[in-house]
This record gives sequence, structure tokens and C-alpha cells, in this order.
Amino acid sequence: MNTDLHTLSGAYAIDALSREEAERFKTHLDACPSCAQEVRELQAAAARMGAIEGTAPPAYLKARVMQAADREPQLPPTVRHPGGVRSSTRPAWFPRLMVAAAVALLVAAAGIGYSQLRGENAPESQLASGVVRVFDAPDAHEATIPTANGGTVTVATSPSLNRMAVDTEGLPDLDEGQVYQLWEITDDAIASAGLLSDPDAGAAMPMPAEGAEVAISVEPAGGSEQPTTEPIMTVTASEV
Amino acid sequence: MSEERNLRLVQPEEGANIDALLVRVARGDSRAFDALYDAVAASVYGLARRVVRDPTRAEDVTQEVLLEVWRKAARFDRDRGNAKSWILTIAHRRAVDAVRRSESQKRQDHHGAPDEVSHDSPADAVLEADEHGTVRDCMDTLTDLQLESVRLAYFNGYTYSEVATLLEKPLPTIKTRMRDGLIRLRDCLEGAQ
Repeated sequence: MNTDLHTLSGAYAIDALSREEAERFKTHLDACPSCAQEVRELQAAAARMGAIEGTAPPAYLKARVMQAADREPQLPPTVRHPGGVRSSTRPAWFPRLMVAAAVALLVAAAGIGYSQLRGENAPESQLASGVVRVFDAPDAHEATIPTANGGTVTVATSPSLNRMAVDTEGLPDLDEGQVYQLWEITDDAIASAGLLSDPDAGAAMPMPAEGAEVAISVEPAGGSEQPTTEPIMTVTASEV
Repeated sequence: MSEERNLRLVQPEEGANIDALLVRVARGDSRAFDALYDAVAASVYGLARRVVRDPTRAEDVTQEVLLEVWRKAARFDRDRGNAKSWILTIAHRRAVDAVRRSESQKRQDHHGAPDEVSHDSPADAVLEADEHGTVRDCMDTLTDLQLESVRLAYFNGYTYSEVATLLEKPLPTIKTRMRDGLIRLRDCLEGAQ
């Protein structure tokens, strides 16, 4: 185990890493069960420290939360397949993504389906429209995520619009003959959500389906039916 | 005594109780969710208040946390710890996110003592005081630098780089003290059970 990385377990356990460092450390945790165990133990100790601050919230908050929960669908449990049998249609990196998602409990929040964009021929104009509207929504949440190829993507979600948008201006330029492609990954399938032929324009889409991850990969010009390279970033609505 | 100051009951079986409630919440039992709210809202809100300071934002954070618990209850893995730790870990992350989202927000210089609390009954107060006393005693076993590093990060939402700057110490020192401090806290709390 990398000593330097290992000492970050304390800072990670109490959310004292920058987002980029936390992402990197999370990747490390997926490959290091003893580190993950240590993080859980330190989080439990910190939780007991946090719990001594108890103060009752105002009484009206309970009704607000109950009403909101009443409108909120729940995520299904993660079903573990013993023996690691996987569908042959999935690329090699797919199971690792799912493990990462389960470990970090970061699977997407609910939303309406993705049906408008499902299938490989989503019109690009549709993707490129409405990006600003999502970023400017009063309830927009934003997160900037570093990509594996040295760029950044800023993702915004708006529950009121029920849409997600990505600002992809921070992505490095690709060689001629390559294109960024957006994917929706669920437990069952990977579906193209369209091509980013003009990364400066970004993309907007309906909120990803429940449990889905959105990923970006570099594909040959014209796009692919299924990803042919490891994604440069993945995100779920709940991470934003 | 204002009703809003009342602390929720903390009972010895509280942990097991919250675990059991969460199992029912995972099956969509809204009455269990109601009871779970009663069991954890004060801890979640209290921590959120301490980190984000602003009561209105702390309410929003509390709502986000409880909704995340509702949504993800079925994904909670009991083999990996108890439900209350899971919920407070979510609460802390959400509170820290809320603080960091508004970078322009002026952080308060002093993070004073937590609000004074009152108790529902003497018996509850004793049980609760026990737990609080244990935690505080264990926090006292940390070195000054360990405690300061952990407190600034955990209760003020600072990153370890910010803590290092504030305390005028090298980054690796703070990184190590934070981890060592938490390990000491963990070991002390485990020993006290």
C-alpha cells in the first residue's frame, strides 16, 4: 500500500480532502479492502463525535421531510451475484464501475426515464440545447469533476427541471477522427446518450434514470454502439 | 425551555433500534421513516448547525440527508457498520458540501460552544450524558495538534490543506495528525464500550 495515500484515510473519513483528492482516494479504496475498513471505523468514531452536538430541529421540519419523502422513490437494493458472473455484453471496466458505485453508495437519485435519448441516434441538437437553462435554474447543483485525460467536466442537475447538463468546455481537444460520446449506464445496459461533436456547447438531458451513471468516453468519429474505451469520467445525479 | 432545544432521547438500545428501523425504511415503511426521523433528526441537525452555522441552511441539509437515507436505505450494508454512523457520515458530507458550495460565504471566525441543550427527562439525560462524557473523555486523549486538526476539519468543514495553513504546519504533519487523532479516538471509544 502506498504510504502517502494511506495517511489520507483520516482526512478522507472526515471529508477534509478536496473533491479531486477524494475521487482519487475513493479509487484507491476500491482496490484496498483494509483501507476501506479503516475509513469506515474512523467514520464511525467521527460520527459519535458528531452526534454529541445534537440539537432538535424546528418542529415544522419533520412535516416538510415526510412530505418530500412521500414524493421520492426509493432505490432498489444492490443485488450481489456470487461468483462474479457478468453479462458478456459489458465491457471489461463495467463491473468495476458497479463495485465502485456500491462501495461509495453513490448511485443516482431518482428521475424520469432517459427514453428520449435512449438509442444510439440521439440528435445532437437536442443534447446541445438547454444547457444554460439547467445551470441557471434556481435549484441547480453543480460539481466539477476531473477527467482521466486531464480535463474537467462540470455537471449541473436541476430537480425542478428534472434535467442534467454537462459543461464540457474543459475537455481537452481530441485528435481528428475521435469524438467524445456520452453514455447512460444502468445495471442492465449501457446506452448511448449522444455525441459531443462540439464540446464547447455542452449537453443537456433528462435526469438519468434511477440508479444510472452517466459516463463520457473517447470514441472513433461517428460514435460507437457500445463504449470501446474506458470512460474518462462517470457521475451519478446524487454526486452533483 | 424552548421546545426546539429539546434533545431527542438517547437510549442504550438506540443503535440497534435505528438499525432495525432502517431495515423497515428500506421496504418503504413510512411509519418506520417517521420513527427514524425522531431518532436521528437532532443528531443530524445538530451536526449540520455546527458545520454550516446558519439555521435555515442546516434545515435544508437535514432534509437532504433524511431524503438520501430514505432513497438509499436499501443500499445500506449492515456488514459495514451501524446505521447511525452511516447517517451521520452522510450528514457530515452534505454539511461540508453545503459550506464549500458557497465559497463566497464568510466563514465565522469563532466556532463557539454548541447550543445549550435541555433534556426530556432525568433518566434520558443521564444516558445521554454518559455517551457525551465518554466521547469528550476520549477526545481529551488526543494531543492538542491532533484534536485541533480533527476539530477544524470535522466541525468547521475545512480541508486538511486549509487546516495546515491555519495552524501553520506542514501538510504531511496535519494529514498524519488527523489520521492518528481519529485512530486514537476510535480505539478509546472501542475500549470504553
